[in-house]
Amino acid sequence: MTTAPATTTRPGPDPSRLSRGGRGSAVAVGRRLVLAEPRRLAAGALAVGLALMLVLLFQGLWTGVRAQVTVYEDKTGADLFVLAPDAASLFAEGSTLPLSTVDTVRAVPGTAWAAPVRSGFSILDMHGKKVAVTLVGSQPGQPGGPWAIAQGHAATADDEAVIDPSLAAAHHLGIGDTLPVQSRTLRVVGITTGPGSFMIGLVFVRHDAAGALLATPDTTSFVLVGTPDPAGVRTRLTSAGLQVVDKAQLRDADLTLATRIYGQPLRLMVASAITAGILIVGLVTYTGVVERRRQYGLLKALGAGKAAMVRLAFGHALALGLLGTVAGSGLVYGVRALLALWRPQFPVILTPAAFGYAAAAGLAMAVVAGLLPAARLARLDPATAFRSA
Amino acid sequence: MTSGRTVPLGRRNLTEDTRRAALSIGGVAVALLLVLVLDGIFAGAIRQVTAYLRTLPADVVVSQQGVRTMHMSASALPPTTAERAAAVAGVAWVAPIWYASGVVATATGRQVSYVIGYDPATGRGGPTRLVAGRTPTDGEVVLDELGADQLGVRIGGRVTVFGAPHTVAGLSAGQTSITNTMAFVAVADFTRHVPRPASYLLVGARPGTDPAALAARLATALPATTVQTRTEFVDSEARIVTDMSAAIMQIMALLGLLVALAVVVLSLYALTLFKLREYGVVAALGGSPWRLARIVTAQAVWTAAGALAAATGLALLLGAVIGRVGPQISIVVTAPSVARLGVAALAASLAGAQLPIYRLARLDPAVAFRRQS
Repeated sequence: MTTAPATTTRPGPDPSRLSRGGRGSAVAVGRRLVLAEPRRLAAGALAVGLALMLVLLFQGLWTGVRAQVTVYEDKTGADLFVLAPDAASLFAEGSTLPLSTVDTVRAVPGTAWAAPVRSGFSILDMHGKKVAVTLVGSQPGQPGGPWAIAQGHAATADDEAVIDPSLAAAHHLGIGDTLPVQSRTLRVVGITTGPGSFMIGLVFVRHDAAGALLATPDTTSFVLVGTPDPAGVRTRLTSAGLQVVDKAQLRDADLTLATRIYGQPLRLMVASAITAGILIVGLVTYTGVVERRRQYGLLKALGAGKAAMVRLAFGHALALGLLGTVAGSGLVYGVRALLALWRPQFPVILTPAAFGYAAAAGLAMAVVAGLLPAARLARLDPATAFRSA
Repeated sequence: MTSGRTVPLGRRNLTEDTRRAALSIGGVAVALLLVLVLDGIFAGAIRQVTAYLRTLPADVVVSQQGVRTMHMSASALPPTTAERAAAVAGVAWVAPIWYASGVVATATGRQVSYVIGYDPATGRGGPTRLVAGRTPTDGEVVLDELGADQLGVRIGGRVTVFGAPHTVAGLSAGQTSITNTMAFVAVADFTRHVPRPASYLLVGARPGTDPAALAARLATALPATTVQTRTEFVDSEARIVTDMSAAIMQIMALLGLLVALAVVVLSLYALTLFKLREYGVVAALGGSPWRLARIVTAQAVWTAAGALAAATGLALLLGAVIGRVGPQISIVVTAPSVARLGVAALAASLAGAQLPIYRLARLDPAVAFRRQS
């Protein structure tokens, strides 16, 4: 059996101050123990950072999704949208109106302009894959088509199309390439400016071409309305028996739908990432406690109380959580840059709120993960210090 | 160690401290769970999206030329398609169905829905399984029971379909997915509200007729259409989900495995340093670096195996819980998915073992005889 030579060669903190929870000594010991093995600390922080990077990435992806989901209504410049009865969103609900609705809308006093848009989903068979797109048909020279063209020009013939940059990037499409839509082939003549759409690409064609492709001539899906008096025109259109929504309502409806579809899986992913982070902090902290149990035992033998020991464990966990948050914040920028090259259709938009969320998650991870090592330290037998290794 | 029986040091090192083992295996398991759950959500979505098509009574499905799917698709058939198809040898029956995206709404809620117009007299193309009520007549609708629950309506309740009031006549099962529910109305009702030609033609084969051969004959007789066997149609439909989710799955799998790799490196390296004296003893007793490497490799394999088992169990549990809490999401854990993940987790674990193996390769056996501080 060994004695306790360590006390002579490596003096510990003032045990009386430590046992009373003396802040200065306890912090110094904690810091020393945390920094005793900087490489392991860095590895632990990096692992926690990876988990927090996932949290940040999911938040950033979600913000990107939200921006992409509402891109069309954000860019059209319309004040009001006339939809089929009961419909609340532009594309998902199959809104169909008689084409004559446009004349009804134009006849309403206060309407500056009204433009019909025919839209519908389509699944394209491209390079052996199924690609979901939304066909958006607008009348040449009227709103509702591509909001701004980054390359090429607007569709001037029924076999021409303009696509959004997400679709172009995801499938390496450029000007002159072709799209097999329904039974026809469309030629890409333009690419809009960003942001692109989420998951389902936008293919802009002429209104008549969309009607022919979707086999629904003499109909339209919705009517865009521009007016200096949205409230008055809306009242008059509603009195005429039309379903009218404004941009805010449309955004709400689209975001609600997107949240219903993607929200729950995303929350599951975030929960998994946070749990992984908790386990990583717990693993690193617990490993540190187990490996240095003799030193911790020595502190106890010198009079350190349970509270001080618990504080040491939590201090270690908090340090990891903090460093992990910093590492995660840096890593997410790297991953975002890589994603922009590899999968440009998934923009990651990082907001201060996302970083706040990640910091809170890091803190929560540290607190939860500190419980196991803290319990172990609180129960530590001071005689551990005097046992042989 | 030399008598033919070896001590399983790798496994024993790993399981000696159960809390530490639980934390390492748990850390890897949660990272794998991330991938497995996402894969399970997509597998569940495939099952949901194809539920209607899988249970159709048809052997062959005819659609608009260039249209091979139903989900997120629009199809319109030439007017005489049904008559021409019925005249093809081997055809027992034909049943056109009408299909559109729409909204089923009540005063308190709304559901994005695929509305199917079918002939209630034959029932072909109608609800797969009617769990309550009866087939619809004009002004009536059959809703999926889950969709009806979410709208808060029962049989006899009032909803609007295509903006027109309808009475709920019956409830079907198994046709609500993460994206939408399904509603069934009579053909006359459908075409009155949404005038358009039939969307798809369901074709039944005479007994003894090969569906593939019948599909080929129909394709010849109906040149302006796309003809597929039901199996081909279902496969095509499933690929919408797999192809749409492929990119996001690759990202998640890569990130999940990266976290798993980090946990494996952390836990194995820490354990190796902690057990350095014991490894020194093994080396002093004649254990070769190869033997030491095998010990660490065994730990990596056991960690990956334990984590995969835990992740699979957790995913199944999560699937069962979510099935009760939010039945519109279905998590389906499949054997191929677990196998793929197992291979990836093993690769990540073996990669994670390289650092401790490198450390042990430089181990001085004298470390066994040094006193610890």
